[in-house]
Amino acid sequence: MNIKDVLSPFTAWKRVARDPVTVKDPFNDRPGADRYRGFHKNDVEACIGCGTCEDICENEAIDLVPFKDPISGDSGLRPSIDYGRCCWCALCVDVCTTNSLTLSNEYTWVATDPDEFIFTPGVDKKDWDENEKGWKKPEGNYEFYGLKRVEMEHLHPEERSDSFIEMVKGYSKEQAQKEADRCVECGICTATCPAHMGIPEYIKAIRNDDIEEGLRVLYETNPLPEICGRICTHKCESVCSIGHKGDPLSIRWLKRYIADQVPSDKYKDILDTNEIENNDKKIAIIGAGPSGLTAAHYLVKMGYSVTIFEQFEAAGGMMRYGIPEYRLPYESIDKDINYILSLGVDIKYNTRIGADITLDQLGKDFDAVFSGTGLHLGRSTGIPGSDNEHVYYSTDYLRKITAGEEIEVAESIVVIGGGNVAMDITRSLARMQKVKYGKANIIATSLEKEDVMPADREEVVEAREEGAIINPGWAPQSIEIKDGVPTGLHVVECNSLFDETGRFNPQCSMDVKEFWPGVQIIESIGQGMDLSYISEEFKENMAFSPRGRVETNDYFQTGVKWFFMGGDIIEGPDVIHGIANGHKAAIGIDNFIQGIDFKAAK
Amino acid sequence: MKDLIKDIESRFKTSDYIQKLDHLAFITVEKEQAISLVTYLRDYRKYAGLTLLTAVDWLEDGVFQLTYLLNNPTDYTEIGVRVMIDRDNATMESSHHLWENMMTYQRELREMFGIDFPGSPRIEEDFILEGWDNMPPYRRDFDTKKYAEETYFPRPGRESNDPATYMKSKMYPND
Repeated sequence: MNIKDVLSPFTAWKRVARDPVTVKDPFNDRPGADRYRGFHKNDVEACIGCGTCEDICENEAIDLVPFKDPISGDSGLRPSIDYGRCCWCALCVDVCTTNSLTLSNEYTWVATDPDEFIFTPGVDKKDWDENEKGWKKPEGNYEFYGLKRVEMEHLHPEERSDSFIEMVKGYSKEQAQKEADRCVECGICTATCPAHMGIPEYIKAIRNDDIEEGLRVLYETNPLPEICGRICTHKCESVCSIGHKGDPLSIRWLKRYIADQVPSDKYKDILDTNEIENNDKKIAIIGAGPSGLTAAHYLVKMGYSVTIFEQFEAAGGMMRYGIPEYRLPYESIDKDINYILSLGVDIKYNTRIGADITLDQLGKDFDAVFSGTGLHLGRSTGIPGSDNEHVYYSTDYLRKITAGEEIEVAESIVVIGGGNVAMDITRSLARMQKVKYGKANIIATSLEKEDVMPADREEVVEAREEGAIINPGWAPQSIEIKDGVPTGLHVVECNSLFDETGRFNPQCSMDVKEFWPGVQIIESIGQGMDLSYISEEFKENMAFSPRGRVETNDYFQTGVKWFFMGGDIIEGPDVIHGIANGHKAAIGIDNFIQGIDFKAAK
Repeated sequence: MKDLIKDIESRFKTSDYIQKLDHLAFITVEKEQAISLVTYLRDYRKYAGLTLLTAVDWLEDGVFQLTYLLNNPTDYTEIGVRVMIDRDNATMESSHHLWENMMTYQRELREMFGIDFPGSPRIEEDFILEGWDNMPPYRRDFDTKKYAEETYFPRPGRESNDPATYMKSKMYPND
């Protein structure tokens, strides 16, 4: 032992008078730094349970557990954290689509039961729930997914305002993959889509550049992807989780991208429908609209012999005769429909049930009948002057434009209606005016104010770009007629549509008046159904609601067991509901023919 | 620091000089000259403090990037010396003789990235991953999520739900 070893311990005495470097008082709080990553907090009202936090967690620390019943746009699940696994990296916070998940700066918590360290922030109340400090995703700076959608190229207004050429150009491969890359695959959208399409799956196929797989996913639930990829009401986009922080995914355009990439002659190989085994059962379908075509597609794939009866000379229903060509070109309609017909579906054009063949006869000749006859009848406002011969229904006019019939296009036109059909006729006639007179002179109005107009926002914007005047918030009072010809529409300001009980009861300022000149008036305030092909005797066996709507079960079976109805008559009106109805009715018809109990059916 | 960089560039095979902040610069040096440069900085340019030694896995480029971050306690500047080493032959000359704590960093890098520093004391001892029997976990091709799933599950009392499947079961079970 040397002297140093003896003296060393005493060197510590030289520090005896210094301030200690340790904490003086362990009983007082020692808060984490302002941006410390401590225990989680979750604003459970803002959270939609998309599970992106769970997906990104490299440590499998997060589970999604039930919090409430799911609704459209909210899975009802909330993240539960296992603090035995959490490494406090905060990736879950940074990826959160709603910014609901944050970290407090609280890092000390004592519990004796290890299971207490698994809890659901925001649901299981904790002392730090109100703690404002801690880690939040910094605004801007960086994002884990693109918040801006890849812009879709449109024809410029001056290029499109005098033609019916398709105005939306479609994504290139590069654009589609870039847009698909923004998807977090949460699947929140699937429940909101009436057809419950496998949206994350087909977007993933785009990302993987596997278009064939994408097409297969589309056809699992939707046999009209070219059409839906253009004109679907895309309710899915309204609930897209990315939409909470940025632009929702362009789900509709991505669907169109897949369908556009595959040539018609490849469909059967990709969808494995070159050979379908037939059974000996026959199904009749009334109307070649979205629901009828969809039912036909799924039934023929099940092996049924399917015959469609169509009153017009071409198939498509409202998709062909209601939606203008600049939004939905005929070749896109034909591509979808021709594939369905190529599977062996027989179609009899220019055949009207009730006139050419009775419904009862169909019942005798076929094992089951599906009807999707839609809403084709125009509705009138009934205001004075509306019975004039120069006052038309939009549905008739749109059909005539498609059929190429000669129609009156006046120099000045007023359209009554603020829905998408009203925008369709307004924009179609504006184009025709431009060709005929060199400029558009058309005004459309609705009872609803601009912010609650039923038409899609883009329709209103684009109509204006094309020279139409859209002036919402007015109630039509009368059509001025002079020498048998309209001279214009009298309107008063409409302030509200519904009373306190939610009943339709428009309130107007009768002293705020306007007169809009127009020698032609188009009414576009909704459509009605034509059930004249169903005899009164037949109807007695069907069920109707007090308001006269046909009632069906979950599989669209009416009171007459072999008679199924779907599409706009039952739900909607829009194409995607028709597709959903047609698909489910096909399953219902299969169950009916096989004698499977519907309630047990899946 | 510009003079220092000029001096370094005249003596060593360097590239990619970045002045990140007024007091913080990075420079990349050829592997065989790296320890010489670090030694020169320590002994002749007053960068006597070792702030840290760390690594980045540039998987796509097939290299690991080592960064020797040194500090000058007299003027409070820092310089990061970067070295690219082959990912398939992840071996680097040891510099434990320059700083006593270097051996600890080298042990850590061997365990977490699988980068060897032959001759470094206790280099083969476990660092923090006692009993680890898998790919070094900081390598980017190590699938942390898969490892966590396989190693820690099922844990009693934990159960998760897929949003789309859960919504289907509750909202439209018959479809």
